[in-house]
Amino acid sequence: MSRLARTFALLTALVAVLAGCAGVNAGAAPQTLKWGFNLPTSWDPVTSSTGNDINTISLVYASLTQLDEKGTAGPGLAESWEYEAGGTAVTFALRPGLTFTDGTPVDAEAVRQSLLRGKTQENSLLKDQLSTITDATVVDPTHVRLQLAAPDYQIPNLLAGKTGAIVSPKAFTENAAAIPTAPVGAGPFMFESFVPESEAVLVKNPGYWNADAIDVERLELTAGTDPTSVIAAVQSGALDVATITGRQVEQAKAAGLEVDVVDSFTVTQVDVHAGLAPLTDRRVVDALKYAVDRQAIIDVTNGGVGNVTYQPFPQGYVAYNPELDQAFAYDPGKARALLAEAGYAPGSLDLTVTVNSVSQATAELVQQQLQAVGVNATIKVVPPGSSTWQQEVYLGRKAQFALDGTVGRESPVQNLTVVYGPQGLMNTSKESSPEFLAALDEVRRTPLDDPRYPAVLQNAVKLGVEMSPSFSLGTSPRIAVRNPRVSALPHFLSQYRWEGVTVAAPGSRA
Amino acid sequence: MRAILRHRLGAASVTFLLLVALLAVVGPWVAPYDPLAQNQDALLQGPSAAHWLGTDNLGRDELSRLLAGSRLSLLAALEAVLVGLVLGTVPGLLSVYLGRVFEWTTLRVMDAFVTLPFLVFAVAMTALLGNGLTQAMLAVGILVSPAFYRVTRAAAFPVAGAQYVEAARLTGAPAWFVLRRHVWPKVLPAVAVTTAATLGSSLVIVSSLTFLGIGIQPPEPTWGGMLATSLEYLFQRPTAPLVPALLVILTVGACNGLADALRDVTGSREARRVAA
Repeated sequence: MSRLARTFALLTALVAVLAGCAGVNAGAAPQTLKWGFNLPTSWDPVTSSTGNDINTISLVYASLTQLDEKGTAGPGLAESWEYEAGGTAVTFALRPGLTFTDGTPVDAEAVRQSLLRGKTQENSLLKDQLSTITDATVVDPTHVRLQLAAPDYQIPNLLAGKTGAIVSPKAFTENAAAIPTAPVGAGPFMFESFVPESEAVLVKNPGYWNADAIDVERLELTAGTDPTSVIAAVQSGALDVATITGRQVEQAKAAGLEVDVVDSFTVTQVDVHAGLAPLTDRRVVDALKYAVDRQAIIDVTNGGVGNVTYQPFPQGYVAYNPELDQAFAYDPGKARALLAEAGYAPGSLDLTVTVNSVSQATAELVQQQLQAVGVNATIKVVPPGSSTWQQEVYLGRKAQFALDGTVGRESPVQNLTVVYGPQGLMNTSKESSPEFLAALDEVRRTPLDDPRYPAVLQNAVKLGVEMSPSFSLGTSPRIAVRNPRVSALPHFLSQYRWEGVTVAAPGSRA
Repeated sequence: MRAILRHRLGAASVTFLLLVALLAVVGPWVAPYDPLAQNQDALLQGPSAAHWLGTDNLGRDELSRLLAGSRLSLLAALEAVLVGLVLGTVPGLLSVYLGRVFEWTTLRVMDAFVTLPFLVFAVAMTALLGNGLTQAMLAVGILVSPAFYRVTRAAAFPVAGAQYVEAARLTGAPAWFVLRRHVWPKVLPAVAVTTAATLGSSLVIVSSLTFLGIGIQPPEPTWGGMLATSLEYLFQRPTAPLVPALLVILTVGACNGLADALRDVTGSREARRVAA
């Protein structure tokens, strides 16, 4: 036996003994969690291009603020914030003594540089969101002051997600092009290794401001598990947590796995382009709102998981307006009457339903529902691809009736702007009423802690819903399947979070 | 034809193909239900007396959809083969007769087609021309044409230089006569074998494309599309993918069987002639 081998054997024995001792208390092997999820389009918050990325980006970055379970902005890297009178400037007070994972301090200067990079870097996708912030200045090492273009009390919400994710200035001044594959932040985890398109291995960052709440010591993020095999992957232990659809819940439970149904900001909707005939007639648009049986869609395509909603927010969120609970309740008779009033005999109205290739079943269902009120719908499937939907619906604006959905935004004003605003991506008609825009502006001018805030916000939601030709269908909760040795996931409306999640040793239950 | 029916594999293949073709033609009349009619009270049911093959995720009768899907799947495969046949055989024959420039050009064009992968090219074509099976299969047809081109050319080439053909030409026989009388009979068996084999591979491509959701206009049923949908509900209906998958496998197998039989039959005739 060579010396090396002997040393190795000794070490192995020692580790085994130590593991045996420690196993009595907690489990010596690091708590490892294998998560099956899409990798972000970029690990740089400034160039990440989808809303879904927040789930993974927030592993490595901490944002200035953070949304709580109900979607309300609370402390993050900043302990607190204070608006100046009039609401045109806000000062954030940072937690002292924090560092990025490269060892440099998270101070006011770092926050200033990181936020301004989102405004100035040529390929930044945050420019729109950050346009409300005109400048950032350092007051002292723990205080940073943001100058705003107009009164806007939504900044703490805005900076809770990707927009407020703080990147180490040392890393991006050295090489900004490296950030998308080698992120440096001050989040709950840090990179150990990363294979693009495949997996990222992250380890706990002991310097995270809320590190005490993070029990997972090692997080392996694996992409690209086929939906048909994802439950088998969790069953076999290849994954510990993964996202499934409502139709797979029964299968997951039958396999002895745990299922978490977590309310989310995601709301499915139909983007209606009122500039394309015959949708220029408002009665036709209204008929469509009553013609769609939302509950049937949820039951058939998502196994009954989700709630019918007539507004782009889930129940329980501050923006949710209960007055809209029955806004366009399914009423085929009323739809037929409206169509008749608009001069369309049954079968004389043609409509194209645009859908992406994964939601075909919804389109087929809607097609039959429209048929029932006398509308001949043909389905147009937009082939998969990174820009096909943009070309067809968002930028091309060729779709009359597109089955779409919003994943929500950290700030309700942002979400309303995307869905109903005159430049909103999902507002394919590109029109907004002055009343709605005025109401939206009033929301911006109302402090988040003002007792009037919920009423002001809900009023804007109501005006948006009533004005818009587009209409919401239902909420789409996040459904996670997990190995029983992983404890229940916390319920955050905004995203997956791992605070308080523990992983027991293999074979045992959390 | 009679020779093929005497060939055991050939007879089996032809019988199966005729059966599938028959189903494709009369399917819509014998189908027990409307293939598009949804029924939310009967989602994802297993096989039963009412629904022999069960129902899909929208409560539609699987058997009726399979029958309706046969027509579209077969027509699409035929389209690709016909496009390939015309685009390959004609220049293949002409390349032997029309001189150097035409020969060189067509050879290079065909070489270029060979380098393109079927599926990717078909997907790109649907992105360019709109998401339709006709467009996709047109693309596939273009890409299978080199097979026809090469086979035709290879079969026609030796004939073109044969002494009896030279003699016919010298005695003043026009080009079309030479082609019809001397060249075409030599080329035909080779083309027939290629057609049968290509029909099989085209069917695989149609099924792959529709499996990926390319080229289908929902709710139109296709074999590949049904296979893809059934895979999403394996837990509820574990046996559902079997029938559409078997149908694809057997039909493709029958096409290849027919190609084999054709080769054997025509080949042996040649052999007999040589022996005589």
